[in-house]
Amino acid sequence: MQASITPIDQRQVPGQSLFADPASDSAISTRGLTKLYRNPWTMKASTGVEDFDLDVRRGEVLGFLGPNGAGKTTTLKILVGLHKATRGRAWLLGEPVEKPSSRRRLGFLPEQPYFYDYLNGIEYLELAGQLSGLNAHDAHQRARQWLGRVGLGERPTLRLRKYSKGMLQRLGLAAALIHQPDLLILDEPMSGLDPFGRRDVRDLINEERERGATVLFSSHILPDVEVLCDRVAIILAGRLQRVATVGQLVQDGRQRVEVRCAGGAEIDVPPEFANYVSRATHPHETLFTLEGDERLNDVLMWLMAAGADIRAVTPQRATLEELFMDAARQVPADSTADLRRSA
Amino acid sequence: MTALLIARNTYREATRDRVLAGMTVTGVVFLLLVQVLTPLALGEGRRLTMDLGLSSISMLGLMVVLLVGTSLVAKEIERRTIFNLLSRPIARPLYLIGKWAGLVGAVWTIAAVLALAQWVVLAVRGSGAWGPALFQATYLAGLELSIVTALAVMFSALSTPVLSALYTLGCYCVGQWCYDLRAFAQNFPPLLRDTVDVFANLAPNLPLFNMRTLAADGLTTSPIHLGIASGYAVLYCGCVLALAAAAFESRDFK
Repeated sequence: MQASITPIDQRQVPGQSLFADPASDSAISTRGLTKLYRNPWTMKASTGVEDFDLDVRRGEVLGFLGPNGAGKTTTLKILVGLHKATRGRAWLLGEPVEKPSSRRRLGFLPEQPYFYDYLNGIEYLELAGQLSGLNAHDAHQRARQWLGRVGLGERPTLRLRKYSKGMLQRLGLAAALIHQPDLLILDEPMSGLDPFGRRDVRDLINEERERGATVLFSSHILPDVEVLCDRVAIILAGRLQRVATVGQLVQDGRQRVEVRCAGGAEIDVPPEFANYVSRATHPHETLFTLEGDERLNDVLMWLMAAGADIRAVTPQRATLEELFMDAARQVPADSTADLRRSA
Repeated sequence: MTALLIARNTYREATRDRVLAGMTVTGVVFLLLVQVLTPLALGEGRRLTMDLGLSSISMLGLMVVLLVGTSLVAKEIERRTIFNLLSRPIARPLYLIGKWAGLVGAVWTIAAVLALAQWVVLAVRGSGAWGPALFQATYLAGLELSIVTALAVMFSALSTPVLSALYTLGCYCVGQWCYDLRAFAQNFPPLLRDTVDVFANLAPNLPLFNMRTLAADGLTTSPIHLGIASGYAVLYCGCVLALAAAAFESRDFK
């Protein structure tokens, strides 16, 4: 099942309960989810997210991408019950998010997590486990296991006020995972971590995927998203722009071609290729970059006719970062600025 | 169960905070200082110990509520620790009840410790038989502080710590003088009188929990008074927490 953007008037099936999940096989579904923030003084409304429709399949890892202020955190907060939607509906594992029980099988890591600094690691994880439904004995056992699993087991009684930022991030992950949730929502889980910490988080997410859990995480670190995700959702100016597999996104993106020539500094790009071919001159070689492969033969014939010594012709796939930046450029500047102000 | 877990954590937070330990030590030191002054009380040392001791329980308890209680929820929102709780299967009203119960537990602990210390002092002075009056008065002070804590939690859930402290203190003062306020209102024109009456009736009836004058003479109160006071406290706390929960339910956490 693909994520779809359905017109609002098609969403409500006659006779279907407002509380029924329209895609009950999804781990997360949203329909027409909208959050407006109203300034209490001017009463002016700004949009956090608007008409947001998303289905996350059970067992998949979905990366949530968007610039600052695009509405990622707002969406995640509505899903985990920290914000109330202005309109629209959302479901977690088939239960509407308004019900606290929808969070029974959810693990959530907020962006820059904060903790009770008067507790130690074990106490905090025990509390987290018990609040998610574990009994005291199981919570204690799992707290010890998870503290060790995230590399904090050597000093279990160290107060959290003495933890570094990276240690707190690891503890937050352990707290999100302690009750073996079926669904994980992670808001910027790699932010503030060193390369080793990022690798550990990647490993944890992969382990959760293998266990069968569904993972939705937002990130700015595109290489991590590229490596981890089955699909990527791009959100811009509060609206879902696209949901696709990383492979699809890259395939549909621009396919540049690089033609590497020895020497060639004297070869000028003719006017008919001016908008299509760019040239970069290096000490011993010249690099011609084509903005697509449609006219590759024409360019190669021109280069050979001009006496170029062609050494390599390499197709360049667009990176996720380039695709993301392209999508961002398509959104009017005003709407992104509005969102940034509201955020 | 969830509310109990939150209550236990709030109790742990309050008891690990230096404020509670500081208030307990202050109360004990004050009690000992009163003993230094009793020779000047012309034979009323026992009465002085009882009166000032009970007043210190109420005042120190109030300070704990103002210093800890009024920032109880606001601090969690500000520091975003609330994200870790409300993203779990916890209904928001249960969260507020847990916070209230935890702080009430801490306030009752400080009241119990100070009352026990006071009873030891009285016993040393040969007035151990005043124990029932002392413990009844402490029980009523505890009920009074439970109501003030409920108000503090409500304001803390809706406002900043400083404003919450001001509102709570305001309610405490109005509650303490609600009888005087009603009597004073009779001198006003009808509209103003009715308005002041409404405020006086909405404010907690805190004089109901004051039996210091009786206890200072070693006298106990009736079980009916204790029963009415207990029922009133339960009802008032319930109403305040229900109001707080209704307002907290629609709140967004940024």
